[in-house]
Amino acid sequence: MAKTESTLVNMVLALLIITAVAGGSLGMVYKVTKEPIAAAKLAKQKKAIEQVVPGFDNNPTDEAYELTSKEGFALKVFPCKKGEELLGVAISTKTEKGFSGEIKVMVGMKPDGTIINYSVLEHKETPGLGSKMQAWFRMDKGNQSVLGKNPKTTKMVVSKDGGQVDAITAATISSRAFLDAIMVAYNTYMDNTDAHSSATTKSKGGQS
Amino acid sequence: MNQWKNFSKGFFKENAVFTLLLGMCPTLGVTSSAINGLGMGLATTFVLIMSNIVVSLVKDLIPDKVRIPAFIVIIASFVTVVELSMQAYLPALFESLGLFIPLIVVNCVVLGRAEAFASKNGFLSSMIDGAGMGLGFAMALTILGGVREFLGSGKIFGITIYPEQYGMLVFVLAPGAFIALGYLIAIINKLKKA
Amino acid sequence: MSTLTISPSPHVHSGDSVKKNMYGVVIAMIPALLFSVYNFGIGTLSVVITSVLACVFFEYVIQKYLLKGEVTITDGSAIITGILLGFNLPSVIPLWIIVIGALVSIGIGKMSFGGLGNNPFNPALVGRVFLLISFPVQMTSWVKPGVLPMSFADITSGATPLGLMKEAIKTGQTPAQILETLPSYSDMLWGFTSGSAGEMAGAAILLGLVFMLVRKIITWHIPVAVLGSVYIFSALLHLADAAIYAPPTFHLLSGGVLLGAVFMATDYSSSPMSNKGGIIFGIGIGVITVAIRVFGAYPEGISFAILIMNAFVPLIDKYVKPKRFGEKPAVAK
Repeated sequence: MAKTESTLVNMVLALLIITAVAGGSLGMVYKVTKEPIAAAKLAKQKKAIEQVVPGFDNNPTDEAYELTSKEGFALKVFPCKKGEELLGVAISTKTEKGFSGEIKVMVGMKPDGTIINYSVLEHKETPGLGSKMQAWFRMDKGNQSVLGKNPKTTKMVVSKDGGQVDAITAATISSRAFLDAIMVAYNTYMDNTDAHSSATTKSKGGQS
Repeated sequence: MNQWKNFSKGFFKENAVFTLLLGMCPTLGVTSSAINGLGMGLATTFVLIMSNIVVSLVKDLIPDKVRIPAFIVIIASFVTVVELSMQAYLPALFESLGLFIPLIVVNCVVLGRAEAFASKNGFLSSMIDGAGMGLGFAMALTILGGVREFLGSGKIFGITIYPEQYGMLVFVLAPGAFIALGYLIAIINKLKKA
Repeated sequence: MSTLTISPSPHVHSGDSVKKNMYGVVIAMIPALLFSVYNFGIGTLSVVITSVLACVFFEYVIQKYLLKGEVTITDGSAIITGILLGFNLPSVIPLWIIVIGALVSIGIGKMSFGGLGNNPFNPALVGRVFLLISFPVQMTSWVKPGVLPMSFADITSGATPLGLMKEAIKTGQTPAQILETLPSYSDMLWGFTSGSAGEMAGAAILLGLVFMLVRKIITWHIPVAVLGSVYIFSALLHLADAAIYAPPTFHLLSGGVLLGAVFMATDYSSSPMSNKGGIIFGIGIGVITVAIRVFGAYPEGISFAILIMNAFVPLIDKYVKPKRFGEKPAVAK
């Protein structure tokens, strides 16, 4: 077969056919993968929630609502229930006091504010220092762990500043920021649920 | 042409990373662990084989003056296919490779093979060339990722070899990629001379 | 055998040699070393000795077995690298980390580029920055100075003035408030503050500078340009807003500015050849140092600043050529 010559018509035609075929096949792939992608994303979120509040049988994403913190952050709250009982809430919270800016944390709390577990979602802290927070605040060593503690009775401030939590070695600023993110979640959730007598009442306060 | 030679040249003699120094962006960017390097390498191999096949099939239909845009569209389509399927079926790997998958489009290796090889050779040779170059690229990325993971965090493929606290963190970060790549190339050059 | 020596010029030697200059630098570093031992005790001594031995060892091994060339460990350059590397480390750092640092300094920083005179970057700083990024916890575990603490049990940990300043400014205190809680300027000049083994004793480093200037081992251009630009740039920032920028004297006396300006920026092979080039080089270091300290993520920036400017040296040398011997300035007609 002879090589097609570079005339205007040939060039336009060649490009047109290639883009049309490419576009068409991509559309097909998109259609096929659309549902698995959405499912993967949902599964990821559900996994993050399950990690911080285990044992629920409802679908927290469906019942999620938003609260606005004093700092003006919009926090997403995922109520986790077993049957009718509220096991706790997973709150995706954040702080801007990190060593290099924003830190996003998913924290699970019992209705009374006791911390069940947490998971650091996003951060830009120094690798090897601040980045240790994912493991640090759950290690049962000294006063490192925040799991099972209630900010009402435990002062969630690094011991250097007169609190009851040991900061990460050589990363006091990141530790402060992490605890700040947790306190943002705690304060916002408590402020918004105290107004209602029952903790299971869905507070829509944040949306008004 | 000797097809075995055609296939094996991508591993050593014309290795994209160690000899031709092509595709440095993913090479330096994603190789913080062996598994990341392997994942990126295999994704690139798939794109390379497919684009080489398609380019070799349509090479006579495409007028010379528009061949580069045509190649890019073909490559970009396959990259998008990889991206979407990885997002759907391998979300964990997609998470760690993330940003770098779309960048396969501008990976010089892929366009370089389309332009230098597939547009001049037949279907079978092009496919074998793509497989050889791609797997050679994957091998280089896996080695580099393995070295960095081993020196940086004491693991290879996630298996702990020595305690993490003795690892040199710099190798997990960007500067370590340059240092490790430099010394790997030096070693390969030495081996080649021998 | 012929008794005539046939060699290219120069035929007349001034008695200057690599060896003589290198050992001059070593002598100039002794006051700072003694002072540091006085402040930080046995820790400094073991850090510096380990570092020197490891540097000399790696230089020997690489020259003899890897490059299979002439062994030049007696020229003193590996000793200087060793002492400088030791000076840049906290005095309680685990010894195996120092050995890695020495390997990086000599292996990557120096020998990979072809050995003495060919290295574009200061080898000791390459080692230090490598360790700082790799082992951030150990590299920032400073100790408070005491008088000759002879055992490790006497050592208490403490942050550096720069670290304290940076942290406090982030929480909204003004530099003036913080300065009251920090050691006085004279303590900082004499080295009674936390920091790396050899960088705190300002007065002793200045003594070394005077020695090197008198012996004509270095010229004044680079140290003065570095210190001057640190002072002026931080003074401008301080004048602009005293509430967030620390005063210039603090910047000058804290951290490793003095050590860097006197001993590290002046390294022969990684600094410009001409005096004018040296001044440009020094100003660059000063400005980058203050910029990293004030705006960057790290509290101290002198090592990064020197390495960054090291990379500019070929460019500076290209445009600022030293005057050729006997060359007359072009006269405009």
